[in-house]
Amino acid sequence: MLEPPFPTVLKPYGRALVDLAAARPEILCLSGDLTKQCEVDLFQERFPDRFIHAGMAEANMMSMAGALARQGFIPYVHTFGVFATRRPLDQVVNAIAYPALPVRIIGFMPGVSSPGGPSHQAIEDVALMRALPNMTVVDVGDSEEIAQVVPAIADLPGPVYLRLKRGEIPTVFEPGHRLSLSAVHTVADGGDVVLVTSGMMLPVTLQAAATLREAGADVGVVHVPVIKPLDRDGVLRAARRAAGVVTVENHSIIGGLGSAVAEVLAEEGVPARLRRVGIADTFAEGAKSGPYLFEKYGLSTQHVVDAAWSLLGRPGRPPQTRTLQVDKGEYAPV
Amino acid sequence: MDHSSRLSDPGTTWVVDDVASLATKIRLRAVQMIAPQGFGYLGQALSAAEQVASVFGHARPGLDRLVCSPGHYIVAPFAAAVELGLMEEADLGRYGQDGSPIEAIGTERSPVVDYTCGSLGQGLSAAVGLALGDRFNGNEARTYALLSDGEMQEGQLWEAALFAAHHRLSAVTALLDANNSQVDGPVDTITTLDPITDKWESFGWRAIEVDGHDDVAIGAALDQAAHTTDRPTVLVCRTSTVHGLDCLPDDADGHFIKLPPDLAAKALAELTDRLEHQGA
Repeated sequence: MLEPPFPTVLKPYGRALVDLAAARPEILCLSGDLTKQCEVDLFQERFPDRFIHAGMAEANMMSMAGALARQGFIPYVHTFGVFATRRPLDQVVNAIAYPALPVRIIGFMPGVSSPGGPSHQAIEDVALMRALPNMTVVDVGDSEEIAQVVPAIADLPGPVYLRLKRGEIPTVFEPGHRLSLSAVHTVADGGDVVLVTSGMMLPVTLQAAATLREAGADVGVVHVPVIKPLDRDGVLRAARRAAGVVTVENHSIIGGLGSAVAEVLAEEGVPARLRRVGIADTFAEGAKSGPYLFEKYGLSTQHVVDAAWSLLGRPGRPPQTRTLQVDKGEYAPV
Repeated sequence: MDHSSRLSDPGTTWVVDDVASLATKIRLRAVQMIAPQGFGYLGQALSAAEQVASVFGHARPGLDRLVCSPGHYIVAPFAAAVELGLMEEADLGRYGQDGSPIEAIGTERSPVVDYTCGSLGQGLSAAVGLALGDRFNGNEARTYALLSDGEMQEGQLWEAALFAAHHRLSAVTALLDANNSQVDGPVDTITTLDPITDKWESFGWRAIEVDGHDDVAIGAALDQAAHTTDRPTVLVCRTSTVHGLDCLPDDADGHFIKLPPDLAAKALAELTDRLEHQGA
């Protein structure tokens, strides 16, 4: 792993999709009036004949995507996470998930990474998609994984929901890191507590682990890029080694990664105690900046440290995280 | 059940000798499917019989597509398919039964059609997506979409209508079954849809209003649609959910008709008799 502050890459998704489409003529790109925002202006420029403006009509966009998949195409469908899941849910169910068609639904701006308020904050998109039979749910951790996931999901059977942050994306993994769609990525083993995370919460989780280790705790970190189907064995291996498990997600604590891990632990009788760090069953709010919302809604590094500390049973206040200074083009966890 | 008997599958063939008598046969087969249950979506077959018969009369076997947007209407394409040899006669007895893939509300398992869905208002989007895929693939297929007037209450229908007109998807021909029937009663007591043709025309479609029980008029309109190359076409078919079955009581609920054994027997006798007069 690289050390924070992390270098960043601009539009890794948009560039990866262009690369994939150059090799695969059956890739189509649909956009719901959020073309630049979903980085597919790059696709539109390069492959205008395979680019479809669906307009502000997500229901029609999802149903059309299903029909295009029946014609042998692999449609990548782009909008914000809220408009990809909660708005056209019935169409995603009936036109895509139930017929198990290879539509790739790309939902941008996960959780409170958007300061745009409850209408724009996808806090239950994983829960909705995870509940659908046939659906694969992916939430990758850095720019390198984004570059790899775009071709990696192209040939998966059935539909995929890919949750993505847009724009400037940190590079957390070292060159040579290989994204797996079948196994969790164990960053470190730990006997006291293991932090289980997905998506853009990886930097926060790594920083929390470093803070806890400095205070003498034996901390493991597991990154879960594929929330469904969940690598149950990978989660169990880490959880059985630890006295406590903390899940970390930029999503409601109901229905997402935390719930998926809780289901496995409960079904397998793992004695580790569980804390879920995430949005605590509440709608958030509009604001000027994402970091403000991360602090306010319990997603900061310190919140992860505090949750883990509460499981350790040690005396004293939890250790305090350091705030990192970042330069332009760098990224540090909140 | 696989989709091996879909209209558009290569090698699929059928012949329609006479559209009017096929419509009567659709009514007869629908009665046979619904009678064992004593109730069901017979009204949909009664209002759509001429439209479905006309589509089978016009569609090019092994090429053109059929979308049945309201899944409750699937009884009518099934009835036609049995009559034309695309489904087994034994399938009639499996309609809506436990464990049967011949479900009463169309699903992914439903044979014959290219697309159907029990959640209403979605079929036109599918027809548009199929037609767009055909355009990308250089396929000359035409996509016929059966729609119901009640579906005009769903916003998605208009999303699809806007998109199809903007892209001049003339390969899409919609047949709108304006039977003025929905679950809660006559459509016009719940929302005012008229003027229906004006709405579609203002969205950029060619709209042709016809008596939906006049197979000659429907056939002429389908010919016009096939020769329209700059926009999609919708046939607004004015129909009744009790048409073509005089033995039904005056107060029959067209959305979900009760068909006890004595009434089913009368219906079969009436339709058999009509077929004899139609010379089929």
